[in-house]
Amino acid sequence: MSESRLTFAADTGGTFTDLVVNSAGGAARLYKRPTTPHDPVTGLFDTLGAAAADIGASAPELLGRSDLFIFGTTLATNAIVTSSTARTALLVTEGHPDILLLREGGGRRTLFDYSQEYPEPYIPGALTFEIRERLSASGEALTALDEKQALEVMAQLRAAEVEAVAVCLLWSMINNDHEVRIGELLEQELPGVPYTLSSRINPSVREYRRASSTAIDASLKPLMSRFFRHLEEELRSNGFNGRLLIMTSSGGVLDAEHVAETPIHSIGSGPAGAPVAGRRFAALDGGGMTAIVTDAGGTTFDVSVLRDGEIPTTRETMVGDQKAGYITGFPSVDVRSVGAGGGSIAWVDSGGMLHVGPMSAGADPGPACYKRGGDRPTVTDACLVLGYLDPDYFLGGEVEVAIEPAAGVIRRHVAEPLGLDLNEAASAILTLATERMVTAIEEITLNQGIDPRRGLLIGGGGGGGLYCTGIAHRLGCWPVLIPSASAALSATGAMLSDLRATYTATELMSARVFDRVKANAVLDNLHAQCRDFCEGPGAGSIRSVITFAVEARYQEQVWEIEVPLARPEFASDDDVAALVESFHDTHDALFAVRDTGSDVEVLTWVAHVSCSLQDADALKPPSAPGRSGAGGTRRAYFPDLGVIDIPVHQVQDLEAGRRYPGPLLVESPVTTLVVDARSEVARSENESLLIYPRDQRFLQVNHERR
Amino acid sequence: MKDDNTRTTLDGHQLALLNNRFDGIVRAMTNTLLRTARSAILNTARDFSCCILTADHEMLAMAESLPIHVMSGPDLMAQWMVRFNPELRRGDAYLHNSPYHGNSHAADWTILVPVVDDSGRHRFTVIAKAHLADCGNAVPTTYSAAARDVYEEGALIFPCVKVQEDYRDREDVLRMAQVRIRVPELWHGDFLALLGAARIGERKLLELLQEMDGEELAAYPAEWFDYSERLMIDAIRRLPSGETTTSGRHDPIPGALPDGLEVKAHLKVDRDAAQIEVDLTDNPDCQPCGLNLTEATARTAAMMGVFTGLGSVVPSNAGSFRRLRVRLRENCVAGIPVHPYSCSVATTNLSELLANCVVRALAGLGDGHGMAATGKASPASTAVISGTDNRPGRGPFVNQLWLGFTAGAAGPVADGWLTILGLGAAGFLRRDSIEILEMKYPVLIHSEHIVRDSEGAGRYCGSPAAQVEFGSLDGELTAVWLSEGTNHEAIGVQGGENGCLARQYVRDLNGELSEPLGTYEQVTVKPGERVVSICSGGAGYGAPRTRDPDRVARDVQRGWVSPERARETYRVAVDENGAVDAAQTAALRSG
Repeated sequence: MSESRLTFAADTGGTFTDLVVNSAGGAARLYKRPTTPHDPVTGLFDTLGAAAADIGASAPELLGRSDLFIFGTTLATNAIVTSSTARTALLVTEGHPDILLLREGGGRRTLFDYSQEYPEPYIPGALTFEIRERLSASGEALTALDEKQALEVMAQLRAAEVEAVAVCLLWSMINNDHEVRIGELLEQELPGVPYTLSSRINPSVREYRRASSTAIDASLKPLMSRFFRHLEEELRSNGFNGRLLIMTSSGGVLDAEHVAETPIHSIGSGPAGAPVAGRRFAALDGGGMTAIVTDAGGTTFDVSVLRDGEIPTTRETMVGDQKAGYITGFPSVDVRSVGAGGGSIAWVDSGGMLHVGPMSAGADPGPACYKRGGDRPTVTDACLVLGYLDPDYFLGGEVEVAIEPAAGVIRRHVAEPLGLDLNEAASAILTLATERMVTAIEEITLNQGIDPRRGLLIGGGGGGGLYCTGIAHRLGCWPVLIPSASAALSATGAMLSDLRATYTATELMSARVFDRVKANAVLDNLHAQCRDFCEGPGAGSIRSVITFAVEARYQEQVWEIEVPLARPEFASDDDVAALVESFHDTHDALFAVRDTGSDVEVLTWVAHVSCSLQDADALKPPSAPGRSGAGGTRRAYFPDLGVIDIPVHQVQDLEAGRRYPGPLLVESPVTTLVVDARSEVARSENESLLIYPRDQRFLQVNHERR
Repeated sequence: MKDDNTRTTLDGHQLALLNNRFDGIVRAMTNTLLRTARSAILNTARDFSCCILTADHEMLAMAESLPIHVMSGPDLMAQWMVRFNPELRRGDAYLHNSPYHGNSHAADWTILVPVVDDSGRHRFTVIAKAHLADCGNAVPTTYSAAARDVYEEGALIFPCVKVQEDYRDREDVLRMAQVRIRVPELWHGDFLALLGAARIGERKLLELLQEMDGEELAAYPAEWFDYSERLMIDAIRRLPSGETTTSGRHDPIPGALPDGLEVKAHLKVDRDAAQIEVDLTDNPDCQPCGLNLTEATARTAAMMGVFTGLGSVVPSNAGSFRRLRVRLRENCVAGIPVHPYSCSVATTNLSELLANCVVRALAGLGDGHGMAATGKASPASTAVISGTDNRPGRGPFVNQLWLGFTAGAAGPVADGWLTILGLGAAGFLRRDSIEILEMKYPVLIHSEHIVRDSEGAGRYCGSPAAQVEFGSLDGELTAVWLSEGTNHEAIGVQGGENGCLARQYVRDLNGELSEPLGTYEQVTVKPGERVVSICSGGAGYGAPRTRDPDRVARDVQRGWVSPERARETYRVAVDENGAVDAAQTAALRSG
């Protein structure tokens, strides 16, 4: 690389820290090193070291050539899961101290399993305090804020030595006077103690979710501001003079100091990058803009979707346990995670049914083939036995593995109990792991109203190539795209992300008695906030886009659906009629019901703003340096063929555009692609791999659908 | 277990694949119902269930449905569907809420859709069942305890009536509901949600048939049932054999059940034959009140009692059910009801009482088995409320509340699940959001919190009670509740203490509490007045003085247990920092 300007994007995952380095006008490269949980910055600098060695410069020299460093991290998530967040107090409306305890009910995993303990509230009762005040649903003060009582509470907070304060009062999203006044009193009574107001962090209805957002956000403030400060200091003292941006759960980036103030945005910041990368690769190679983006890691399989180029969000993201964990209550990129990965353990229950996961062998002891004491069969063991993975080139030769222990545990724990031979048993493990992934894909696509057969399947993550052909056969979504950056989708996504913000206003309005003047005023105000963002953090961006939407429902429903607005103005009643028609269509598509006899209500008005800091279209897909000419054949097992010799190709040795019929394997240092006899593979000009069914009728059908 | 050598067999992974698939379809149905329904009881509290039956009416997949809605009932209803309509056609949908033909109670409206393949063969039946906010009862509640018969109850009864043909509504039937059900617009929205859920299930099953209709799919139900039966056999073999009769008492209801009512369950566990029998025949005849169980809920009461107290997780379907025999008789308050006796309350009070008899009986077999009794259905915090909303553009309203009902029973390895809402709901029914309630209805939820020192003490504790106070925003608010547990508490096992009694009052404009109010009441409060509800709490398992002192200290720290009670009931000393004083505790416990 010459002395061109560089952009860095890093993602600190649970197992690996990925780094993508982009050089203006040149090609991007990706690097991977183990994550260092005690101080993620160490692992980051290890990865920078690898980049420096490859490029032939020191890390400070590289950092000095950079204007932009984008960072994604699971630190916030880990802090919550390991209960290492700040000692946080919660202030709530008098009479309602148990909002976080009682949740919305639910939380049980299995119908008749009464051994599960009821989950602890995110903030314990001993640190929850009631404030004398009460608003009505219309925002009218039924009980005025009792400041004297509030001051007494603050004295208790001081005595309890709290490190952060969360404030969530009923109906504060309609009228936040009381919350704002509490904030002022906190600044006066507990100077320096960070606090979060629910009406600022998540002004939405449903007190449990809003309180949960607020509590999580406040509890992360001390830790995350410390961490971002530490990260920035380390980067600056190593020559970095550019702008530090953090990937957020909404799939955009924000300045580090902004995220330190609202750290809940950094939850899930890594996985949120994957669909952003997926969108870019879908545009480059897929031709369609509806895609299923998968990221197959060591312990989990993450799925997100693209719907007509949009990345759908959910308000039901849980941290920790999917049922009994803590809800962020916050719109974030909808990423579903199932405990199915290379480390997932296969087992047969007492009724004779095979299971894969959710237990994982993790990194330690790891799969049996690692020879580090793993004595239960994992998916990785199965792939090794089947001949799909090369024991001499595991993770590019970085990890030493052996087949014998893998075969032994599969024989003992799966083959014998099920009466199968070794290969059949290994194949059953892989098929079932694949099926769990399929279920995850079906759930998210269904929830988002997408027919998976209309979607391009993007196989990401180190294990993506092992499963994606099987998933495609099962779901009928062709072709499958394996981007060159598949092993570092999140970091690549971070590199491609725009500065993003969303502004919302709550104003209930019926379509039948629609107040166009009021609606236009609400939209004008949102528009102004977006323009401020463009001129503030977005100053100097090469492009900015503002879009508007409403969250609406049939009268009396309580779950709104988002419907885009063509423009931020209702000039005539025709514009209102168009919105209503568009709502009916969206509802029908999602839920097979169209209730034209019912009024439609708009509850929330939404404006999304995004500012592009760099030209994402100019970014060349990053790739990792690999071995060449190491072709040949390998013995592998396929259920319909038995054990046969199949060709092994290196990615860069494939001729672009030519179709190679399966069965075969394609290797790169970070991933292996399995192409079965019913499929064929081609390399695109963008270094991506595309898998097609050999029976072209499938593809024809899908193109028509798409 | 069936032994048929000609049958295609599935291996463990084929079984898992199809199991995932069917559960996924049920979840799709559930999602549709939740997101599109209009009443809070459905779109927030999730008082509904979805399931898939085989063409032989056997329960195939129920995912996370409520036990009381589906363990038995769908099977009986589908049998009646075929009996009444021998020729099922694609596009049909049946509305069924008859307590005399397999349904749970009249307020649970059920849509049955036969899934008919391209060759015209009936392959599956999908079922969506929802507890309506109102079902046309004479009194504005869906639990008419004092109704002497179905005529006084007043609900519209549809004994499996065709509501759609060729996917088109039979509007004459819908008009019947429109003139009888309170707040008909709301009802219609909920009805559409119910229908949508069933149609989504049908659509997905037809896709499944399109994709893989063959031997494997045909073999699945029998294989899945055999697998479940094997797990059930395993689970029963972990119990000791034994036989015991356990009884429970329902509160008196003035005018309907002046002396209350004792019911009993006879449990027999045969470890060697791996068979459990629950006999409910030795119970009183049908009573002139709304408490009579239906065949579905009597059977389910016994079944959910067994599955709850089993201590092992076994899939609940027609296969595991083979190992469970429930004896019922006709014209029995806990059996098969005879028209025109009313079954308005069949899903909560006596069914909970009997299910708790069964779990307590299992606990009686030995320490480590069964469970204590769950707090009783249904406190005033789950009242049906009604009135008129004076806010602009609003009008009459009716809805059942699902607030503060903390009743989880202690088991042999864990404390009670706080938000269990009864064994029939199993914690899968959700709670209301205060803000959603106040947005939709002219109510104010003044407070909702745990009551200190109200837990069912034990080695493992039953849940402490929740206290809820609510009233109207303006105008009058009528609340009807049926708070069993006002006179008789949930019963502890293995030395565990009973749960606390339910109480309910009206708080007047001066903040004064009324005299305690009864089990079954209809009260109307004016603005500023409040209904006060304290629910019946869960009972304890094992002696309180054997409770882990760290758990006691945690309960003290979070304000559930006072230091005095910790010392007296649990024999645990807690210091001023909330930590266990080990020396003092040892001294207290040695006494």
